[in-house]
Amino acid sequence: MEPFELICPAGNPAALRAAVDAGADAVYLGFRDETNARNFPGLNFSREDLAGAVAYAHARRVQVFVAINTYPQAGNLGPWERAVDDAARLKADAVILADVGLLAYAARRHPDLRLHLSVQASAANVEAIRLYRDAFGVRRVVLPRVLTVPEIARLNAEIDIETEVFVFGGMCPMAEGRCSLSSYATGLSPNRQGVCSPASHVRYEPRGTALASTLGGFTINLFEEGEQAGYPTLCKGRFLSGDRPAYLFEEPTSLNAMELLPELKAAKVRALKIEGRQRGKAYIAAVVAAYRRALDAFAKGQALPTLNLDAVVEGGAQTTGAYKRAWR
Amino acid sequence: MTPLLTPGLTLGPVLFNWPADRWRDFYFRMADEAPLDTVILGEIVCHKRAPFFADAMEAVVARLAAAGKEVWFASPILAGNDRERAAMRDVVANGLLPVEANDMGALALLAGQPHAVGPFINTYNEATLSWLAGRGAMSVSLPAELPAASVAVLAKAGAALGLAVEVQVFGRAPLAISARCYHARAHGLHKDGCQFVCGNDPDGMPVKTLDGQSFLTVNGTQTLSHGYLCLAGEMDRLAAMGVSRFRLSPQAVDMVAVATAFRAVLAGQRDGRDAAAEVGRLVDAPLENGFFHNVAGTAYAAEA
Amino acid sequence: MRDPGFALDEAAPDNRARAVEVRLTQVGLGVGLGLTRRLGDGVGGLLAGRVLRILSDRHPRAFTALREMPEARLLIDPVDAPAALLLQVGPRLALRVCDRHGVAEGAVDAAVRGPCARLLDLLEGRIDGDALFFRRELAIEGDTALILALRNTLDGEDMDLFADMATAAGPLRHALPVARRHAGRMLDLLDSARRAAPPPLRWGMAALERRLAGQPKRRPQGS
Repeated sequence: MEPFELICPAGNPAALRAAVDAGADAVYLGFRDETNARNFPGLNFSREDLAGAVAYAHARRVQVFVAINTYPQAGNLGPWERAVDDAARLKADAVILADVGLLAYAARRHPDLRLHLSVQASAANVEAIRLYRDAFGVRRVVLPRVLTVPEIARLNAEIDIETEVFVFGGMCPMAEGRCSLSSYATGLSPNRQGVCSPASHVRYEPRGTALASTLGGFTINLFEEGEQAGYPTLCKGRFLSGDRPAYLFEEPTSLNAMELLPELKAAKVRALKIEGRQRGKAYIAAVVAAYRRALDAFAKGQALPTLNLDAVVEGGAQTTGAYKRAWR
Repeated sequence: MTPLLTPGLTLGPVLFNWPADRWRDFYFRMADEAPLDTVILGEIVCHKRAPFFADAMEAVVARLAAAGKEVWFASPILAGNDRERAAMRDVVANGLLPVEANDMGALALLAGQPHAVGPFINTYNEATLSWLAGRGAMSVSLPAELPAASVAVLAKAGAALGLAVEVQVFGRAPLAISARCYHARAHGLHKDGCQFVCGNDPDGMPVKTLDGQSFLTVNGTQTLSHGYLCLAGEMDRLAAMGVSRFRLSPQAVDMVAVATAFRAVLAGQRDGRDAAAEVGRLVDAPLENGFFHNVAGTAYAAEA
Repeated sequence: MRDPGFALDEAAPDNRARAVEVRLTQVGLGVGLGLTRRLGDGVGGLLAGRVLRILSDRHPRAFTALREMPEARLLIDPVDAPAALLLQVGPRLALRVCDRHGVAEGAVDAAVRGPCARLLDLLEGRIDGDALFFRRELAIEGDTALILALRNTLDGEDMDLFADMATAAGPLRHALPVARRHAGRMLDLLDSARRAAPPPLRWGMAALERRLAGQPKRRPQGS
């Protein structure tokens, strides 16, 4: 049986080197613009950076995937099409796309380029996945974080392309690529600008002894002194429904599906993905190394090592998320 | 299903969990009194609710058709688990009415037959629109978050491709969908044993910020805006762009009055801003049009 | 609070070296502030400017990016050091030491505050900024995007402040590697000297440090 492929994030060349050195099988990254869903200030790769990244990774037999996973702007397809062209030219091993128009372009213009379907396309069922395969020759689908492991197993029994699932990191409780919460509060969206709850619209302000986070002027959370903080994303905020403040959508927490490795293997999942292109290289080195150790042990049939990743996760808490039915 | 290139008013599916009687009476009234061209039926948020009004479906379809309304079925927004998939397949295979696909899975199943593409399929640009047209889409309803510049490009491309482009002009804006039920979660329940608490909130459950500011609306697994999206004041501009269909999303307000106001604007009998002012009085939350004006969706700017 | 995910072994020589580096940074900031106070911005600015130039030469990718940013001012405030740093990004990239109490309201677009050791870790990408923030060890204020841009830009480099300084020309070139190499022993010596010294000498050492740090007598630094 083939071992899992470990797919790791990189927000810049140093992070890519950290991921490669820590044992990634593939690294995914984006260009420095709105063509990818982590379009954050100071992050991502120039064309020159990508060339260097591919050279570094390929020399160590590690693959590079380029995420071009936002939805191209009407009347301005150029930046997205050029991103696909440049990824192909610079010998990326795959591009990760979400928009059907862009998939059609890539399939037509670069028939040899390996296409992966981004989680942002939110393809959650057999029928949708087969359509992406038949229409564009998509070879792998990154599954949206709405399915339980048994559902993934049934899905894999019915499709003949590879599946990749998130196992670690930040977690959207909403179906990805189908969420306008950020643009509702700020005018900037994951689908269009590649940003969710953009830093430009985030403010932290002390309120008494507490720390308030606001997004577009809306109060998203209040952290008491000594309480762990989270990202200022709307879906991880505290709100009032009724009279009690509560994490209505999701607590500040991180996905960690390491305990589910046997089930994911039985479900015939091909690749495991770590979230966090926006995180520092220290996070990437630590998490990738931890997962590398776990996957190596798992492949040899050994007990999984105990790994303490609490220090790097949001809210200091971890969850198996949608993979278990109780999450719903 | 006919391509509707002459401007028309569409009533989207009821998104909320209304009691079967209320649901049936609402559509009877729409059939009898509301100046609508197309009515889209179907439970698209949570398949668990669908059985409640299944018995009334036939009568509703007959009444709407008899009143001269075109009737379509909409497929579920999220079709992940087996039961959701089954619901999706049932809608597509209904054999009676044209279907609006809200997921790529439904679109796949509609291959070779004329169909509509709903607002939950991501149509952001002309390349996607063209691909959809090539697969037999007669009409495409755009995502609520698209700004005017994108709508203009898509409406123009749609005309060239011979398909109708639709924009939501009234009702809380759909913002997100999840496998998790937030209504159940807010009541300390699990989705599997939800007790249908979403039925307590015919217009959705209000969500406020910690400062007490009204912000969002929860409808089971769906999250909507608090304010009501209203593009009454932008109707002239939309029509000039080539948008030919205008969607009203049902709320627990006087939808006959809403439809009548928009119909009057569409017919050139009423000023859009005047209609917007009336719509503002019909609802109990602010009007919003920020998405269209390329700012935060919560904003409301008077059309200049 | 230590982070088990990244904690360096307390006994490791590397960690002792780190403690020296933190102390050197604190003292350096104090000296910078003292110079600025006595001789005006020009001289203090020269020192910080020199550090900036050295880093800039070593890390052109990051510093080009910082110069391409819209002009903005960021206060970097190591709360356990005698002075703070004011970084101006944009075409007129500049760094200067400043008195954290002397920064006028509205003079900066953003501020980041935390222990000196943490800020150094962050500068060198030894620790994840998000994790620090989640744990509330880092406080940020003002333009969040500016802070994020700076963090992401610096994280893209394999930066080692003291190694970078040491490889550059000038007196530091000789002093820093020696300080690092003998870090453990120096700390031991300093600690035992402090312990062993009779009270008057201890006060004298404190005074020496104060002078080094440019602090007025009535506000002794805890050490």
